[in-house]
Amino acid sequence: MNKIKISAKNIDVFYGDKQALFDVSMDMYEKEVTALIGPSGCGKSTFLRCINRMNDVIDICSVKGNVSIDGHDIYDKSIRVESLRESVGMVFQKPNPFPKSIYENIAYGPRIHGIANSKTDLDEIVETSLQKAALFDEVKDRLHQPGTGLSGGQQQRLCIARAISVNPEIILMDEPCSALDPIATAKIEDLMSELKKEFTIIIVTHSMQQAARVSKNTGFFHLGKLIEVDSTDTIFSNPGNQKTQDYITGRFG
Amino acid sequence: MMKDHIVSAYDAQLELVNSNLIKMGGLVEDQLRNSLQSLSNKDTSFAEQIIFDDHKINALEKEIDALTYKIIAMRQPLANDLRVVLSALSISNDLERMGDHATNIAKRVANVKINLPDAPTIEIVKMGEDVQFMIKQVLDSFVKKSDKLAIKAWDSDVNIDDSYLNIYRELLETMAGNPDTITGCSHLLSIAKNIERIGDYVQNIAEDIHFIVTGQALERKSEKRINWEEINQ
Ligand SMILES: Nc1ncnc2c1ncn2[C@@H]1O[C@H](COP(=O)(O)OP(=O)(O)OP(=O)(O)O)[C@@H](O)[C@H]1O
Ligand SMILES: [Mg+2]
Repeated sequence: MNKIKISAKNIDVFYGDKQALFDVSMDMYEKEVTALIGPSGCGKSTFLRCINRMNDVIDICSVKGNVSIDGHDIYDKSIRVESLRESVGMVFQKPNPFPKSIYENIAYGPRIHGIANSKTDLDEIVETSLQKAALFDEVKDRLHQPGTGLSGGQQQRLCIARAISVNPEIILMDEPCSALDPIATAKIEDLMSELKKEFTIIIVTHSMQQAARVSKNTGFFHLGKLIEVDSTDTIFSNPGNQKTQDYITGRFG
Repeated sequence: MMKDHIVSAYDAQLELVNSNLIKMGGLVEDQLRNSLQSLSNKDTSFAEQIIFDDHKINALEKEIDALTYKIIAMRQPLANDLRVVLSALSISNDLERMGDHATNIAKRVANVKINLPDAPTIEIVKMGEDVQFMIKQVLDSFVKKSDKLAIKAWDSDVNIDDSYLNIYRELLETMAGNPDTITGCSHLLSIAKNIERIGDYVQNIAEDIHFIVTGQALERKSEKRINWEEINQ
């Protein structure tokens, strides 16, 4: 087992008076894929957003507890949220490329984060990011055309390329394939098995089969609580908790 | 009790697998009981009927196969559902083999040219009845989804192995004492072997049921094993 990369301890999250997460503690391991599953509204996205402090931008949202990355508390006053978001990238359910060229979609991040300024450096980052996202061959002749002109699956890989262009250590994916067809989904899953060599990946998914295919560990959430977290093999073959079993076998009601 | 699936057609499919397995198990029980009866009574025409009836078991196996493939393709079962579906394939396969062994007994009875000596026949029928009881036990454990009953059925096989060993010795002695009985006795030996094999399949099924219920492989050793050295002395 790899070393712990992200450790969440006793996380409570509130939206106003309404509590969305209850005392969630979970470790996630370096260069592995961890899947988060559970019925709609159980708090998966809320939990994911704790890891890059995206909940900070929601006015009514407050987070209690502790999240550390490599042992450093990310809610500490000394942490710059911008640099946190640089090392923790995020990919969303619906591909959301900027209304700019494919090239600019990727160059934008490194430029504003001051990672690269010269054209040759940026060219190189754009190319390697697209390579890593398994998109380069499909778009190399139209780098200066709009990113929004790509297919859904290509757009999602563009968003992944954009996320990795700033050298993150962690990539959070919130249902990255739910808007994609089976072939585009297979490409993203295939890509994830490459990406995990370099990045720690946390993925929220509603597809049990996807979680079973891509992840090493899986956490099951229900009504804001983390019910069970274990190796993906165990979760999908012989989970310890009856609620987990009822959920993954389609018996929830 | 297991909760129902949100998709009720899924429950209906699993229930059909379940009921087909129980039906198939019942047919295997019948086939063995009948073949033992035909053996006791040396009833060749009854034996012919038994041989004919084997196709029913084969047909059910095919039906269960088709159904489980369909469930896997349509539903991608997980956890306990996956264990049920995979085990159904292996249980139906074992039941089909058990049916073949029962039919093989009838095939020898049906062959009028074979003269089967009486005394060891009685022993063999008794052993067959013990195996029948094991089948009952294991089917019962399947219906009740009880790992404890499955283990009971599994453990009963030791007695069958014992009986087989005794019958084997007795048949050797009979043959050595009277070479005229060699043909009959060697057929009886095959029949005893058929019965002993059925006991082994009951153990396989008991292991599957244990796996369905607990998710764990049944790790168990027989207290005794046939000691062939002893026989060869
Ligand atoms: N911005 C928000 N303001 C108020 N309540 C929110 C907000 N975001 C989420 N919630 C509430 O918090 C709870 C958890 O929501 P969350 O989006 O984390 O669930 P989820 O598991 O990601 O669901 P889904 O699978 O549908 O995406 C829900 O009850 C939701 O209504
Ligand atoms: Mg969500």
